[in-house]
Amino acid sequence: MELTGKEIRKSYGKKEVLCGIDLTLEEHKIYGLIGRNGAGKTTLLSVLTAQSPLTSGSVTLDGEPVWENKKSLSHLCFAREISQMTGSGIAAVKAKDYLKVARTFCPHWDQEMADHLISQFHLDVKKRISKLSKGMVSMLTIIVGLASKADITILDEPTSGLDVIAREKFYQLLMEEYTETNRTFVISTHIIEEAEDIFEDVIILDEGKILRNENTQELLERSFHVSGLADEVDAACAGLTVYHEETIGRSKGVTVVLENGQQIAPGHEVKIQKLNLQKLFVALCEKDEEA
Amino acid sequence: MNEILTQEKSIYIQIKEMIENDILRDILLEEERVPSTNELAKLYAINPATAAKGVNLLVDEGILYKKRGIGMFVAQGAKSQITAKRRKHFYDDYVKSLMAEAVSLGITKEELIEMIRESKEDGE
Repeated sequence: MELTGKEIRKSYGKKEVLCGIDLTLEEHKIYGLIGRNGAGKTTLLSVLTAQSPLTSGSVTLDGEPVWENKKSLSHLCFAREISQMTGSGIAAVKAKDYLKVARTFCPHWDQEMADHLISQFHLDVKKRISKLSKGMVSMLTIIVGLASKADITILDEPTSGLDVIAREKFYQLLMEEYTETNRTFVISTHIIEEAEDIFEDVIILDEGKILRNENTQELLERSFHVSGLADEVDAACAGLTVYHEETIGRSKGVTVVLENGQQIAPGHEVKIQKLNLQKLFVALCEKDEEA
Repeated sequence: MNEILTQEKSIYIQIKEMIENDILRDILLEEERVPSTNELAKLYAINPATAAKGVNLLVDEGILYKKRGIGMFVAQGAKSQITAKRRKHFYDDYVKSLMAEAVSLGITKEELIEMIRESKEDGE
């Protein structure tokens, strides 16, 4: 199954949150969606799953529109972050009742898996959501996402608030499910460092636009940190787009992403290092602060 | 000063080297099955496509071979092949950086040779 978004635009009042997004989610891939706070991640995920209407553009699943289409929707699951704010209505609901409701929305729901996850995560389902710890609430999101068995499953910030052991457990469970099925997963996260090896493709969203959408490893193989004497660094990177310049005295460090055919000019005394996804993301998206 | 602190190898290179190390240390024996890409993916929580990239490099080098429908196996002579390959790269991988550091500290070749002569065989 393939989910395709074309020229997606979404505005809240005068504010345009998604500014013309083209995106295809292919079958059996794990996508990482990363972006700063307010970049439009949750908005994008909710319009892709028809939880929120588009201002313009289209979203289709294997060519069929998704909006108010029961058949298409049965293949999609958006496990969103749950608000614990009292007064949001959901906070007063017991965890087990939340799961019951989720089950009615997911025609392929796997109760055995849900029960298994509840016991693995030691989730007290009798508690009201407002009484659960933040990590436990994230576990609810994870259980809904995994047990939904939806062909295209989107998890919004599944690891926020989870301790490091639970996070590792989640990624292992995810890989288990991914390798044994044909499901597609989209994971949005702020904890990039530990997830970059999971993401086959990474989608970097910045100010409502897609900055990058490509194979994670290939992107990282083309991305370098170049440092040394400022003049040498400038000479080595002549003609390249540089990001995230830092200088200390005579020393300078920059980030470059080589596009087809480009190279760092040889013969200069510079140190060239690989970047991890988190460092690259910071380099690409930090411009706002400097301006 | 502006170097970054995390200098990591690509994951698929690490997977490849890990399998090679296991073969060198007789943890994986010749004609034995190596973990599948799905098993590696689950074990290390990495994408199976990345694991496959590392494994396929070893297939290309003839260190592993595929048995259709069964999995990946360590080829005959894999251990000696890895040893030969690493010996070939020993100068580039170790001696060059050793020399560069020695030169920047003003350690002469003679002093370096003396150090090597005095060093214990087991590297302690």
